[in-house]
Amino acid sequence: MPAQPIPAQFKRETHTINGVKTIVLTAGKGEPLVFLHGAGIWHGINFALPWTEKFRVIVPFHPGFAESGDDPAMNDMHDYVMHYLDLFDALGVAKMRLVGFSLGGWLAAKFAVAHGDRVARLVLVGPAGLRGKERPQGDVLSLPPEQIPALLVFNFDVIKPYLPENPKDLDFMGERYREGGTLARLLWENPYDHKLPRYLHRITMPTLLLWGEDDKLLPVKTAELWRQHLPKAEFKTFKGAGHLVLDEKREAVDAVARFLS
Amino acid sequence: MAGRARFDFIHFMHYVHLPENQKDFPSLWVDFPNKYFDPEKGYSLYQRYLSELVLADKLGFDAIVVNEHHNTAYSMMPAPNLIAASLIPQVRNAKICVWGTPPNLEYPNRLAEEYAMLDVLSQGRLEVAFPLGTGMEYWANPINPSTARARYRESIDIILQAWTQDGPTKYYGDFYTYRYLNPWPRPVQKPHPPCYIVGTGSPETIDLAAQLGFGYASVFVTKSRARELNEKLRRTAAEHGHHISPEQLPLQVITYVAETEQKARDEGIDHIRYFFEDALRTTPTFLAPPGYLSVEQLKMRAALADKLHGKFDFDNVNESFFVAVGTADQVVAQLEQWGEQMGTNHFVMLAAPGNMPNWKVVKNLNLIAQDVIPRVRVGAAYERRVAAE
Repeated sequence: MPAQPIPAQFKRETHTINGVKTIVLTAGKGEPLVFLHGAGIWHGINFALPWTEKFRVIVPFHPGFAESGDDPAMNDMHDYVMHYLDLFDALGVAKMRLVGFSLGGWLAAKFAVAHGDRVARLVLVGPAGLRGKERPQGDVLSLPPEQIPALLVFNFDVIKPYLPENPKDLDFMGERYREGGTLARLLWENPYDHKLPRYLHRITMPTLLLWGEDDKLLPVKTAELWRQHLPKAEFKTFKGAGHLVLDEKREAVDAVARFLS
Repeated sequence: MAGRARFDFIHFMHYVHLPENQKDFPSLWVDFPNKYFDPEKGYSLYQRYLSELVLADKLGFDAIVVNEHHNTAYSMMPAPNLIAASLIPQVRNAKICVWGTPPNLEYPNRLAEEYAMLDVLSQGRLEVAFPLGTGMEYWANPINPSTARARYRESIDIILQAWTQDGPTKYYGDFYTYRYLNPWPRPVQKPHPPCYIVGTGSPETIDLAAQLGFGYASVFVTKSRARELNEKLRRTAAEHGHHISPEQLPLQVITYVAETEQKARDEGIDHIRYFFEDALRTTPTFLAPPGYLSVEQLKMRAALADKLHGKFDFDNVNESFFVAVGTADQVVAQLEQWGEQMGTNHFVMLAAPGNMPNWKVVKNLNLIAQDVIPRVRVGAAYERRVAAE
């Protein structure tokens, strides 16, 4: 029996944004903290529980992921920025603490570049999107799906409870394939954002950049690219943690909470 | 109306000189290292394969068929139009079928031009097919698999507009903008060369063939499924006001003819085994790049994949697919039966399967030409059925 990926404390709402069914999980009270997930959220959000003690934690599922709906017309990251503008308006969230992980980190940076007035503080956790000299970094489309889970973590036991016992589980395969299709719409032609570095100087709010030192998908070296363009950002790394640093290290979760307080 | 059936010879031009450890590679497609292609051996294979296609023309086959695949030992024809062009001077009578370049992998104006060139060069003997391309082609080419079908559809529109409307015309689509669509030369055949859709039976491609009145060749589907698809195409095309003729439903048959059934099996089966076990061997990820299939199709194909790409069992393959291995009498009877069942009089002979050596291919082509082609009569039952409807 796979572990429950969503803690019971989270309330589940369904919104329709531009015709797209969007699931939003919310827990806690306080200033809003929005978490933008990566290119898959099957590993759940148990890591986010400590944040609910201080913040109103809001975790939307991106269109084309988990139980949110599909919209084939959403085929670049800008469409997702526009989706979140509409969703935040619908939720009445004018200003927020924004935490983005991996694909969600790229999205958070892209959102903050254009709509900095709505982001009080920004945390980028192992963000994707920048192209370094050594490639591929984080091009999950170049990897057979069955190889991806092992590349996400330092300690496989952390995600094992969320994976099906049968590696050929058709439903799990089908769900990942659908999310891969969403990713292909966004990233097939180009898994990096060549324009983003040009605009990263617009990120002027306090920013924390956080990375697992044993990230096998997006090596911690990639952080240098971000630091070049975000010289004022705080930078923290965690030993014994892979790409899913928040799932693997409670210290990382606490560091985010401290930074956002 | 029952007359002589149409016989095509299809060649895949496999690169057969694989390293001894080839079984260690899960796929001979996409990432199979190209260091294993030896240009000297490639030259000899091209010479040999071209001679086999030319021989089929000399023996009286109605058409020769070539197709396109990329990054693979399965095929030495990433650019089938080059093969077609080099065959035209030597193939004097047979139709030249390029079945074909996925139109979404090439600029559509360029494909319209190249096919028109081939039609003019061959004095109107070209036939083309529009495949979507296997999943593997999307790992080798920079086209997005998640928009493959939409781009495919638009590309076909552009090609048909280029062929059928006097240029210059304009085209403003989702993928392409043409301010001056005006390709030279134009095809000989009017309104354009005969067109087919090639597919594995997805509902979208059947509907498209029905809408456009194109022929449909299903490949790598089981017998019962192929029959359903032909029925569905005829029915749907009729709703669009198109009559699908038997010739528009080419049936691909793996064929090997010999003096006795035992001899045919002894000489043929190993090469058919190579075709399924080696030439077609690839991975589920390569078969289904993200966004290429619907989730339902992915699950369906995961079930069929073992039949096509797994362990070879001749009886299983024989049962599932169109395989005619035996004496000329047996093959004639088999083809007549399938022709009636499938409502076709158009057979595409996969007569050089896998790593079959030249002498067997030559023998096979000769026996098919002498003892099979002149004797197969199909169409009577089908025509009666259509007339009765």
